[in-house]
Amino acid sequence: MPSPDPVVAVRGVSRRFGHRWVVKDISFEVPPGEALLLVGGNGAGKTTLLRVIAGLLNPTAGAVERHAMAGMVAHHTMLYDALTARENLWFFARLHGVAERGRVDALLERLGLGSVAGERIAIFSRGMLQRLAIARALLHDPELLLLDEPLSGLDETAAQIVLDVVAELRARGGALVIATHQLAELVAVAARVGYIVSGRLAALEPVDGRDAASVMNRYRELAAGAR
Amino acid sequence: MPGSALVRVSVAVAAKDLAVELRTKTAFVSSIVFAVLVLAVLYFARDATAVADLDLAPGALWVTFTFAGMLGLNRAFLLERENRALDGLRLTPASPTAIFLGKALGNLVFLGVVELISLPVFILFYDVPIWRQLPILMGVIAMATIAFVAVGTLLSAMVVRTRFSEVMLPLLLLPFLVPPVVSAVQLTWRILALRPLSELTGWLSLLAAFDVIFFTLSLLLFEAILVE
Amino acid sequence: MARRGTVVTAVALLGLVGVYVRALAFTPPDRAQGLAQKIFYVHAPVAWAALLAFAITGLVSLLYLVLRDRKLDLIAAASAEVGVAFGIAMLTTGPIWGKPIWGTWWTWDARLTFTLIIFLLFVGYLVLRGALTDFDVRARFSAVLGIMAIVLVPFIHVTVYWFRTLHPKPVLLKPDAPSMPGTMLATLLISVGVFTVLYIGFTMQRYALAVLRDVREEETAGAIP
Repeated sequence: MPSPDPVVAVRGVSRRFGHRWVVKDISFEVPPGEALLLVGGNGAGKTTLLRVIAGLLNPTAGAVERHAMAGMVAHHTMLYDALTARENLWFFARLHGVAERGRVDALLERLGLGSVAGERIAIFSRGMLQRLAIARALLHDPELLLLDEPLSGLDETAAQIVLDVVAELRARGGALVIATHQLAELVAVAARVGYIVSGRLAALEPVDGRDAASVMNRYRELAAGAR
Repeated sequence: MPGSALVRVSVAVAAKDLAVELRTKTAFVSSIVFAVLVLAVLYFARDATAVADLDLAPGALWVTFTFAGMLGLNRAFLLERENRALDGLRLTPASPTAIFLGKALGNLVFLGVVELISLPVFILFYDVPIWRQLPILMGVIAMATIAFVAVGTLLSAMVVRTRFSEVMLPLLLLPFLVPPVVSAVQLTWRILALRPLSELTGWLSLLAAFDVIFFTLSLLLFEAILVE
Repeated sequence: MARRGTVVTAVALLGLVGVYVRALAFTPPDRAQGLAQKIFYVHAPVAWAALLAFAITGLVSLLYLVLRDRKLDLIAAASAEVGVAFGIAMLTTGPIWGKPIWGTWWTWDARLTFTLIIFLLFVGYLVLRGALTDFDVRARFSAVLGIMAIVLVPFIHVTVYWFRTLHPKPVLLKPDAPSMPGTMLATLLISVGVFTVLYIGFTMQRYALAVLRDVREEETAGAIP
């Protein structure tokens, strides 16, 4: 089976901060329509890896190949507190060169923020901010979406909206890299799991019907082995 | 990045900064009130029988603009630091050049408004006869403000990454303000004293050279600040 | 590097002793200024070395941004540190000389003003370095500031000279024509040479120290699995 042209290829990426190597020689590819799950403890290097893939950080060694700008949702909302939800999206839409009222409003509706579009986001709850951050990441219809703990702070309804977004993106041939602790919801949408232990990709395995508990056990096994 | 996109992105960034500013108003209001306060305090910080208003006025004006401007500068990049919005900018095709131009434009408008409001107060307080001199004085103010913004935008982008950024900015910025502020004071003094234009050319060319060289340099060096 | 730095410094310090002896015992006192003028043999050369140090920091900063070699960043920092130390010597000896000659500790003479502002500029450079923790960020930011600073120097120079003369006319860095007697000039030139070597020795030692610190941090960080 000829493997399709990957949406993103990570080739031997390492990154150091000062003297500390946070990401060490990681390589993988994500084909169209696939979601790759990254599992690892706090400080394992998942966030740094995602930031390198996004192009926010230059890798110290290695390279990332992708066709276009990725969309990214991270711990920080990357939004302006003093502006309304619509103004925030409108601003980033202008920078992407896709400033169309219809697109911005449709996205707000899609993520269940239609009724609060004109409110300043300073009053938003964590869940609302997270959904708006996802809307920001989707503005330019990215073929690659990077999600860092996308479900944190979300209630069930909001989490379902995010899962739907993930499914839609896969259906139209997009790829995702998702770093998370909340395996229960996300393991179902992922094709493969990458286990990150102290900055290294300890294993990259297909999900193959594993459930969250079994993925967690495998991670503990690998983490213990590395010690 | 094509020219039209450069303009579109710069204007969007500047407009966003000013929208945030108008929404919160803290920086505008505090800078203007601060300017009025400094003008008033400096008026009394001399022996009125020994130092004439006209001798004190140019220095007072520029000390006021310098410090009021510094209050406003940090805010432009603190805004981007808050929720790491700068990462959001960098996840778009906006070039570092466009981001720098946008931030500089936002700062320029911000300072311009503060100066436009404090200038009449200055004229009133110091009773300086400048109505006929106003166009040339405005020109000098514009040139010195460009110098301030060119260096200030770059330095504030660096300084927001440090601890104690409020103290750090004046420490790094003030030496850079020596040439433009001294030029502006010298020019203002000559303009208020109704000196012939030929006495202005030297300082004007120094100010112009500073504007061109430091604006270009800041633009070129900004990418090294932005990329991680 | 540390050892060679020590050797160069030792040679320079011996030279400094030589300068003292020559200046005090074998150079005639200035007819107008008397013995106070002797401090000139330290003041002028140390000012020269400080400005040399700042110039080198600026140039090496530019090289760092082009080549991105960590060593260049450490050299720029070492040079700035030595420059600031020499700057303090310069700003201390200046007033000591000025008091008996001019009758005042400080005067807003163009050269004094110029060196004071440049000195403060590089103090700011060191303060910025101290406020940044990440090695790469610190190196990049301080390189940017170093380059900005070196471009600023001619502007400050023109500004302070015009300010003093009040009538703008082009003034470039032109030293006063040396009208002093030959022995005094020779002593001065020897001292300039000695302080240049002293600058090189100090900078080598500071640089060697920075490298050692860098290596130690590397080892500490490497120990974490």
